[in-house]
Amino acid sequence: MGSESVKIAIVGSGPAGLSAAARAAELKLSHLLLEAEPHLSHTIYRYQKGKHVMAEPEALPLRAATPFAAGKREQILGAWNDRSQKLGVAVRHGFRTVSIGGSQGAFLLTAEDGRSVQAEVVVLAVGLQGNPRLLGCPGESLPMVQYQLDDPDEYRNEGIVVVGAGDAAIENALALAARNRVSIVNRRGEFDRAKPANRAAIEKAITDGRVQLIANAAPASVERSSEPQGVIRLNTADGVAEISCHRVIARLGATPPRAFVESCGVQFPSKDPNAVPAVSPRYESNVPGLYIVGALAGFPLIKQAMNQGWEVIEFIEGRSPDPADTPLLAAKFKAMPGFTTVDAAIARIRAVVPVLNPLTPLQLREFLLGSDIRTPTAGALVFSRNDYSDSFYSVLAGSVKIALDEQDDSKSITLGPGQFFGEMSLISGRRRSATVYAGTGAVLIETPRGSMNSLIASVAGVKRVLDETFLLRSIQSRIAPGLTAADLQAVVAGATVAQFKAGDVLFREGDAGDALHLIRKGSLTVSRTLAGRETVLAYVPAGQYVGEMALLTDLPRSATVKAAIATETIQLQGADFKALLGNHPALKARVDEIRLQRVVANTSTHVEDKNSSGIVQFLMNQGVGEATDVLLIDESLCTRCDNCEKACADTHGGVSRLDREAGPTFENLHIPTSCRHCEHPHCMKDCPPDAIRRSPSGEVFITDACIGCGNCERNCPYGVIQMGVTEAKQPSLLRWLLFGGAEPGREKSLAKAIAPGAVKADTPKKAVKCDMCKGMEGGPACVRACPTGAALRVAPEQFLKVTQRVG
Amino acid sequence: MASPSSSSAHLGFLRHAGFLWAKVSLWLCASAIAAYVWHAPADGPNGGTWLGYTLGGMGAALILWLLWLGVRKRRYRSTLGSVKGWTSAHVYLGLSLIVIATLHCGFQFGLNIHTLAYVLMVLVVASGIWGILAYDRLPARITQLRGGSTREAWVEEVFDLNEQTIKLADQMTPAVHQRIVASAEKLKLGGSLRQQWRGAVNSKDAAALNTLLKERADTLLRERGSQTFDPTAQSTVVFMAGQLQQAGSGEAEALHVQQLLDLLARRNELVARINRDIGLHARLQLWLLFHVPMSLGLLAALIAHVVSVFFYW
Repeated sequence: MGSESVKIAIVGSGPAGLSAAARAAELKLSHLLLEAEPHLSHTIYRYQKGKHVMAEPEALPLRAATPFAAGKREQILGAWNDRSQKLGVAVRHGFRTVSIGGSQGAFLLTAEDGRSVQAEVVVLAVGLQGNPRLLGCPGESLPMVQYQLDDPDEYRNEGIVVVGAGDAAIENALALAARNRVSIVNRRGEFDRAKPANRAAIEKAITDGRVQLIANAAPASVERSSEPQGVIRLNTADGVAEISCHRVIARLGATPPRAFVESCGVQFPSKDPNAVPAVSPRYESNVPGLYIVGALAGFPLIKQAMNQGWEVIEFIEGRSPDPADTPLLAAKFKAMPGFTTVDAAIARIRAVVPVLNPLTPLQLREFLLGSDIRTPTAGALVFSRNDYSDSFYSVLAGSVKIALDEQDDSKSITLGPGQFFGEMSLISGRRRSATVYAGTGAVLIETPRGSMNSLIASVAGVKRVLDETFLLRSIQSRIAPGLTAADLQAVVAGATVAQFKAGDVLFREGDAGDALHLIRKGSLTVSRTLAGRETVLAYVPAGQYVGEMALLTDLPRSATVKAAIATETIQLQGADFKALLGNHPALKARVDEIRLQRVVANTSTHVEDKNSSGIVQFLMNQGVGEATDVLLIDESLCTRCDNCEKACADTHGGVSRLDREAGPTFENLHIPTSCRHCEHPHCMKDCPPDAIRRSPSGEVFITDACIGCGNCERNCPYGVIQMGVTEAKQPSLLRWLLFGGAEPGREKSLAKAIAPGAVKADTPKKAVKCDMCKGMEGGPACVRACPTGAALRVAPEQFLKVTQRVG
Repeated sequence: MASPSSSSAHLGFLRHAGFLWAKVSLWLCASAIAAYVWHAPADGPNGGTWLGYTLGGMGAALILWLLWLGVRKRRYRSTLGSVKGWTSAHVYLGLSLIVIATLHCGFQFGLNIHTLAYVLMVLVVASGIWGILAYDRLPARITQLRGGSTREAWVEEVFDLNEQTIKLADQMTPAVHQRIVASAEKLKLGGSLRQQWRGAVNSKDAAALNTLLKERADTLLRERGSQTFDPTAQSTVVFMAGQLQQAGSGEAEALHVQQLLDLLARRNELVARINRDIGLHARLQLWLLFHVPMSLGLLAALIAHVVSVFFYW
């Protein structure tokens, strides 16, 4: 079979791929853009109609042959279509690339339908969305078979067969069932892969007869027919079933692009699902002639991707334009003493800081773009103990002093060039464990948590170095201050990291004690069985340790310890530690003293009432164990006046970020739907512009860089983030008092603010959540506005104290 | 982090800051009483003496300040104390007004604007006391009634139960169907203030419907009971066929009636609970319908009192 031959084959027509193709067309290079869908830029095409697309990062200049500015989805797609036509971009639609074989100069790209294209070089720009899994039977590509549902209201009075048993299939089936006759086809008998709420809803819909269930069935074929439109045949336990329908919607998940990319010979640095393939500064992968740009290479923002598309063509053509971010980096590096050029500065950083050594040049650039260069004067405070900041610092020049003990100056560590600090808070999600002062001539690189975490995910070397340092420093600061790394070598070598799911038992009362657990991440509850009932005695957050008795005595465990949330602990073996204590009598005396204090503390908590233990258990079950600050309402005091919500709305652009009534209640303690400022915020996990930050005082907040993608809303397990439109102007109190009309804080519940039709479609929606009234004097407005003292904000450490009074 | 002393932060407004405002208020009353006893003017205690003017000025200032709570609690950015502290002070200083104003007038009452202001003030304080009692007792009762659920969840369940009952009724006689549909349509949540207060439910209608269904069930049961086994009358085969036929219609209907009764009982219980919930919420607010308008009335009467004292005395 003869196949077309081009110089550059570009796979995927998203922002990166289209930009590359446009540049190639502009330069009149032989090229072909391969796109599986019948339209360009499928990911953006799939955005809901009228969605406002943002153009972050604002400071980054756009360098592409295709235009791009913040605006409506339609405008952006229209502009891209026009430009690519004008430039004469060669596109092959319906070309779903399934394999890339051959090597530089003679690559062979094969599509699912057997077509193929030959190319000298390949630009892979397939993004991260992956391909939807197809039905896997004849007729799977008919127009009546669709693999997504944009707007369920589009269809009325149709017979629709939904195939799949996951959340997407269930949500589609339920949404369509309001106006259509819907059947859902499940390969198995149960909907056990779906979220509990979805599962309950679909089971109810099936019981009520709103949705017809065809269980234990697999599609055998889809065929066109005259009336109504087609027929799907299913293999069931009772034989073949036929359903006439207007359309089939298959929601069978997507095949992640990683498997495909790996099949092309591209290597990934780690097994971490967030890892991205390593590419050279010229975007070339480990396969010569195979270039990777855009989200797949770890650059999820549209503008970045477009710049890379333009640059990759330049590189292929043998030119080396300065990357578009050079002016941004130059502005950052200007603070560095002796700064000459961006390249020289990057080379210096790589040479000095070993932890950044495993990064590819491109990763290092991106890392520095997200970081800031700090040049504090000698003696200046970098951060204080108990600050809630979680950025990571590398020392580029000069020194810093880490004061482990404010009172005792001798208990401090000095770090020089190439060393780093701040990894404790980064890993544990807790407050700073020490105060850090700058030394003379200090030049520091401060990197936010988001950039650091994506680095840890993609570069195994960085993770290993950080883990080892964390281990050593934790033991040094928490258990054995004053001991050197050499003293602790045996203990550190024998230490292991153990992971626990919420509710897992670390050890039980009466077990033989063999190890100490230093909590690296997460939190634990300590309980004992008193009068036949499990009673929670203590909540132990990250940074603390449990089970120290095992290291000192041979007594069995005196209490049961469970993980309150997903937790990681460092286990120190008793034998190693006893040997260490034998060599260091001062350390033994100190550990003995701590043990004595704990014994006294444990006995005094025994008298505590059982009620409080139940409340602690309830709070832990609600995931409050991972909170750093949670809003609670003592319902015995709450007069349901909603002044908390009004205060929140009035101080936050008319949108309340808390829902007082929603949320669980135990005895008189209510947890309203409001941000808990988690230790490891789920919302931060996948924020393309890295707009979610934690302030030094602990508030997790969203900056203006938000692009409104909704990832955080989906990632938050507590439902406290909403997409909303805020208004700067609030109703005037005086006018309301004198003339009536809009009351401050009133009539603007979140539900109303985000209801369909409440705002014009082209008003950009951004994620809104509680910021704990950061920057406002006097602390959270909700608590300050409560007339009866029912609303309170507490950190988990205070639960035991608080719960003894409530209830 | 932001809550500096949350162990004290969740004490209610009455115990705020170790009863600070209760102490201030008691001290104020004690001083006023002491001064009143010590003062003993020649023409008897009244509003016109220097002490009378002092107490009157204090009272008027207090009333204005007490009214200001309505503004402060809506100034959400204000850092002038917490609203809880203001409420605490409002309660205790408001109570002290009774003593201060009574001493101010020197127990001189009459049918005039001055006594009207006094009476209004007493009524405002009385409604305030009602409010304190409501705030003390009702919140825990709402929580208890809710049992961890929410009103929306209940309302949703009621709609759901209505749907189920109608679906069941579809398979029964038209008379039953009609009644069920009517009953679903007549359901009433909330209602007028008086109905909210009483936690209204269409109890008469619900009772009538229940009676109808029970009668139908009884009839069905009786019919079935009369079909006794008489081996001489027919052959066993014929009898069993008859039984099966009976079971096919009568028993199925009896079963439906029983299900219907269960659903209706659950639904009516929920409706009653929703209305009790609405009622409790209404009662948490009801006192304000007296407290606030009478406060404004008091302000007007107070102005009239002051103006008349200064211009027409």
